[in-house]
Amino acid sequence: MRADSALAGSTTDGQRPPDDVVLSVRNLKTQFRTKQGVVQAVRDVSFDVKRSEKVGIVGESGCGKSALALSLLGLIEPPGCVTGGEVWLNGRVVSNLGERAMSAVHGKEISLIFQDSMTALNPIKSIGDQIAEAILRHQGNVGKRGARKRAAELLAEVEVPNAERRLVDYPHEYSGGMRQRAMIAIALANEPDVVIADEPTTALDVTTQAQVLDLLDRIVTQHQTAILLITHNLGIVAEFCERVVVMYAGRIVERSTTMDTFHRAVHPYTEALLKSVPRPDRLERAPLASIPGAPPDLANLDQGCSFEPRCFVGRGRDVCRERAPDPTTVGPPDQPIVSECHFAHERYERLIAEGEA
Amino acid sequence: MLSKLGGALLAILGASIIAFVFMRLLPGDPSRLIAGPLATPEAIEATRQALGLSDPIIVQYAKYISNFLTGDWGFSFSAGESVSTLIGARLPATIELGIYAFVGSFLAAVFFALAATYRQRPVVDGSVRAVSFFGLGVPPFWFAIMLLVVFFERLPWFPGPEGRLSPGVEPPPSVTGLYTVDALIAGEFGTFVNALHHLVLPSIALGLAVFAYLVRLLRANLLEVAREPFLVVARSKGIRRWRVFSRHALPNAFLPTLTASGLLLAQLIAGSVLIEKVFNWPGVGTLVVDSILRQDFAVVQAFILLAAMAYVVINLVVDVLYGVVDPRVRIGSKAE
Repeated sequence: MRADSALAGSTTDGQRPPDDVVLSVRNLKTQFRTKQGVVQAVRDVSFDVKRSEKVGIVGESGCGKSALALSLLGLIEPPGCVTGGEVWLNGRVVSNLGERAMSAVHGKEISLIFQDSMTALNPIKSIGDQIAEAILRHQGNVGKRGARKRAAELLAEVEVPNAERRLVDYPHEYSGGMRQRAMIAIALANEPDVVIADEPTTALDVTTQAQVLDLLDRIVTQHQTAILLITHNLGIVAEFCERVVVMYAGRIVERSTTMDTFHRAVHPYTEALLKSVPRPDRLERAPLASIPGAPPDLANLDQGCSFEPRCFVGRGRDVCRERAPDPTTVGPPDQPIVSECHFAHERYERLIAEGEA
Repeated sequence: MLSKLGGALLAILGASIIAFVFMRLLPGDPSRLIAGPLATPEAIEATRQALGLSDPIIVQYAKYISNFLTGDWGFSFSAGESVSTLIGARLPATIELGIYAFVGSFLAAVFFALAATYRQRPVVDGSVRAVSFFGLGVPPFWFAIMLLVVFFERLPWFPGPEGRLSPGVEPPPSVTGLYTVDALIAGEFGTFVNALHHLVLPSIALGLAVFAYLVRLLRANLLEVAREPFLVVARSKGIRRWRVFSRHALPNAFLPTLTASGLLLAQLIAGSVLIEKVFNWPGVGTLVVDSILRQDFAVVQAFILLAAMAYVVINLVVDVLYGVVDPRVRIGSKAE
């Protein structure tokens, strides 16, 4: 049922995506060769991101989110390897580019904000140098002095106080929130079209988290940057993203608008994920819900639906054990929900009926 | 910083006491040795008085230290010269060999460590590890003799144990005392090549252990740094793989190596004693070995103290350098 994915905005292989689609991922596959066998970290993942769109990628730890991010960037290192699929960026395939050509794309068209800002910055280079390095790579004509001036501007833009004076400081002299701001400055130094933010606020306290997200939101809106926010924090997704991609066991099991994700979770995994978010109003009545079991071993996958052993819907049904579900599109054509569940239609209809009742 | 300086002084003090006690504990009477076998007891006693050996031990020690600090390192009876003159004359040869051994092993270590870790090819990595294992395990003097057997006796590629220059080649006019440098200064290209040719085998023999140690250290550090997320971030800025490796990974991997430099110097000093002897290198090492054989302990004593001082000074310099290279330990840096 590949046609369904085309309907949902994901174009088929070899075909140029529409102009407003800045990033198009098609059937991307990434494997890691380990002693335990071949780990399939990303399994046939497809989705589109439009210009200045904010898309969240959610899922449990080890579901392939970070591997997907690095695969998109073409920065998977051995023993990992992208084994199939395409990545389209600004209307052309970048997944088959060589290292040299890809390095011209990195930072300029697509960049990365990393999880832990302490380890994501070189401890023995000043913040200013690290920002200037990104600028000089793609705007060499500004010169060293120009790059420095621009670095100060960027640092001021991400609201680091005394930006000019703090250029000479080293990462350990910044607070966690400021380091993350500096990271954002680096990622935005060349105004890329897509920024991948891999858990950008996980290491920060809640107040700083909110500030950094606000800042990120404002800046990407200003620069018309599309952002791919990788997180396991559904609260951040609800606040920040327009669309949500739910990953499970290396696959995208559901993608829909943020509204649909939270109110019409078609895939049982999405529903279970939402239920495990602590809600103060529910805590008194019932213990905190969690999803029973653990994600499957990506080196030894069964032929059936990978969520089947933990699923509360398909329990015992043969179809779930025997065949992996194809992406199924439900909902209105302009805001489709694509869900990899054998019972997507039934579940969607019941949700609508419940909503109307 | 002050405590480091204090520690350094303490280390030198300790070394001086060891050198001093070592000298006193030796069997035999230096005054008898110096006065000669035919001297009368009165003459020996007079020599003892002249040497200050009948003074209380603490006075002797104080005199020894003050003499050492003023450049009077004692008198070598076997050479009939002051120790400072002797060592001064031999030092350039040792320093030249040490520099070539260190620079050579350092460059080789960087090269091999990079080869072993860049792109992580198992075959290259395995061979490099085998070489470093060999280098750490093999006794330096045996390796030096093997080098001579293979590259001088069997294959006449390099000169034998004949010192710094071939017989008949005049040393260049002395400016620095380093023959290769002096020859270049004087424009004597033939002498330069000859001196360099003589340096190859001793440098390899002396540098092997240092090289093996450095390779092991650098390789481990590079592998450690290779996992750091900031390298991925640098790549995501568009910096090419090699540049990320050389500008981001390498400087970080060098930091622990810097700390080891003090140890490496000790390795070089200790190694030079035996290696120089094997190659008939007219340096301090050969002088020390000869002096031990002739029971000329004033030389040995001065050498021990000098080596200790060099070791301490290098470690101090390393501490200061560390602050320059690593902003996290920079003195007076703003606290987090």
